[in-house]
Amino acid sequence: MSGLNRGRASAFAAALLIAVALPAATAPASAALPPILISRQLAERDHLRPGDIVTMALDATGSGSRQFRVEGTYEPTPDPVRFTARRLEARVHLPELVAMTEVSGDPASADSLTAINVKLTNPSNADAFSAAVASRAPGVFARPTARAKDGSDPFAVLERFHVAVAAVTVLGSTAFLLALMVMRAEERRETIGIIRLIGISERSILLEVLAEGLLIATAGAVFGIVLAIATQGLVNQFFQWRYDTALVFVRVTRAIALQSIAVSVPLGILAGLVGSWTLLRRDVLALLGR
Amino acid sequence: MTAWGLAWRTIARSPARSVLAVAGVTVIGALLFDMLLLSRGLLVSFRDLLDAAGFDIRVVAAEGSMVHRPPMAGAASLADAIARLPGVRRATLVSSDTAIAIAPSQSRSGTRVSLLGTNDAASGSVLTLVSGSPLPSAAPPGDVPVLVSPKLAAALQLQPGSALQLRLFLPGSASALPLVTAHVTGIAQFAFEAADEYTVATTMDGFAAAHGKPADGVAEMVLVSTDSTQPGSEASAAAAIARLRPDLRVLSNDQVMEQFNQNAFSYFRQISTVLSSMTLAFAFLLIATLLTMSVNQRLGEVAALRALGFPRRRIAANLLWESVLLVGVGGLAALPVGALLAVVLDRILREMPGVPGRLHFFVFEPRAILLHVALLSVTGILAAVYPIWLATRLPIAATLRREILS
Repeated sequence: MSGLNRGRASAFAAALLIAVALPAATAPASAALPPILISRQLAERDHLRPGDIVTMALDATGSGSRQFRVEGTYEPTPDPVRFTARRLEARVHLPELVAMTEVSGDPASADSLTAINVKLTNPSNADAFSAAVASRAPGVFARPTARAKDGSDPFAVLERFHVAVAAVTVLGSTAFLLALMVMRAEERRETIGIIRLIGISERSILLEVLAEGLLIATAGAVFGIVLAIATQGLVNQFFQWRYDTALVFVRVTRAIALQSIAVSVPLGILAGLVGSWTLLRRDVLALLGR
Repeated sequence: MTAWGLAWRTIARSPARSVLAVAGVTVIGALLFDMLLLSRGLLVSFRDLLDAAGFDIRVVAAEGSMVHRPPMAGAASLADAIARLPGVRRATLVSSDTAIAIAPSQSRSGTRVSLLGTNDAASGSVLTLVSGSPLPSAAPPGDVPVLVSPKLAAALQLQPGSALQLRLFLPGSASALPLVTAHVTGIAQFAFEAADEYTVATTMDGFAAAHGKPADGVAEMVLVSTDSTQPGSEASAAAAIARLRPDLRVLSNDQVMEQFNQNAFSYFRQISTVLSSMTLAFAFLLIATLLTMSVNQRLGEVAALRALGFPRRRIAANLLWESVLLVGVGGLAALPVGALLAVVLDRILREMPGVPGRLHFFVFEPRAILLHVALLSVTGILAAVYPIWLATRLPIAATLRREILS
């Protein structure tokens, strides 16, 4: 891209290149070689350590090959869009990469790169900035990094899918909860009959059921959240192991915990009330089997 | 009375409870069924898409994949050589790029489209002609005949015979090529077009002309169709192609599927496994709790039956039938409910950008029903184990005495 001052470019350019590790002993002048950072996954796969000399090339035939000294390893920034891909990556200083990729006889190739990350003073101007870049530089696509507002990005779709699955689960568990509450109310049929016979009002019994429901539902919700917090590590560990990534797949946030309580507590209370309501509207003598 | 009859009466005695329990199993069972459909849905659907395209072998650059396909030099001559191999029906070149399409009557800002270059003029493979004429097999130099998707035709009000301007970009350069005027020969459905995508297809010569250069024989991929009536033709053709160009990757449909299965589709397989397991655990806990509470309510009844001479076996059979009835009825009802739910969930996931319009996440397979029945049966039986143990180990005299005293 024209106009880029490569000397001042402080960013590293990531490239998917072919790495060939050479024994350190074969390169006595290794200190003079340019440094390279190797992703943890690449280092593990090719048994690379800091100080090793590697040859990077643009293809398997070795075109544009250059030697580098492994300066260290890094954990690639987790990328949810590419979490299934093996992160075999390396980072070199931009001038080194340009030197590898430039084509002799094509001066533009020495002044080209793939992307520029821009941090705006005011992030809310991202759309206007993108439009301005697109109109001034044909062939350049400027995209805001923020999630699309129309809910079309993959994570918004996945979120809708998970919410739908959660809604179905809540529906199923509500049916079960109601069945359990109906059974529980049946168990207490005679007790409620006696309580009503000695003069306790239906309102008082209803309040008692309400308080009991609130207590049980809150305890259940809290237990559920504690269980989720306790098991989120296991889920993350499994998926992080499976995909060899540092990406966090499950995180029980305060908002999610509150959302769970907001759904489960009223449902629990409602189930308790519905279960008991069948007894409260019955005749006292019928409750006692008379 | 048989154990089945007794179980039926027990369930019928508490209709509200039974209906709610069955409703719970139905909803949870529907979710389980959907997760089973999801576990292989993408694979089955993608395989169908690949097979429907009619090609058995795909040739791409060695450093590329099915998603990232660097251009291959000498692809046209390779395709000619492949077409002459025994057992090969045809070889098709494919290239793709992004372009801006502008209808002369529309605004100058244009619409971003995927431009596909192919030398396969035949309808019914990667594209199905809806109206107009297919791409010509030979066109005058510089001519850019195009087929457009129905969505683009509707958006830009195009029809066969319309003119369409295309603007392409030079890779790695902040400049665009001059506008190229193409003419629409027809409207076609593209098998791999995503819901959020517009596709324009042209000939390989047209593709080169749109890039402002003569045909150079470069393509991203060569698609090969072999004679499926000849056994082993696919493997022998693949081996022959690999010998022709050892510097390229030759992928069979199975290998393409394996690539996607390992990477792109694995998340949904994992999530379906996790959700299926959780669903089963959930169903187990709830059925076990319901049956245990039911047994606890009927301890006196069970003790009386035992005192009358009912063997433990019959008590156990009674409870097992109860579990089978609840899980069985709920599990059966779960199939149509699950099918409806799958349509809804599939619609949600297909909103994902870049997903071909014909790809489905939830696909029905007979094995899903078999697995669904097997998993729910095992869950129902396991859920009945504790209540059965409780009922069969009941001390008869002590329980009867306690019941009379209470």
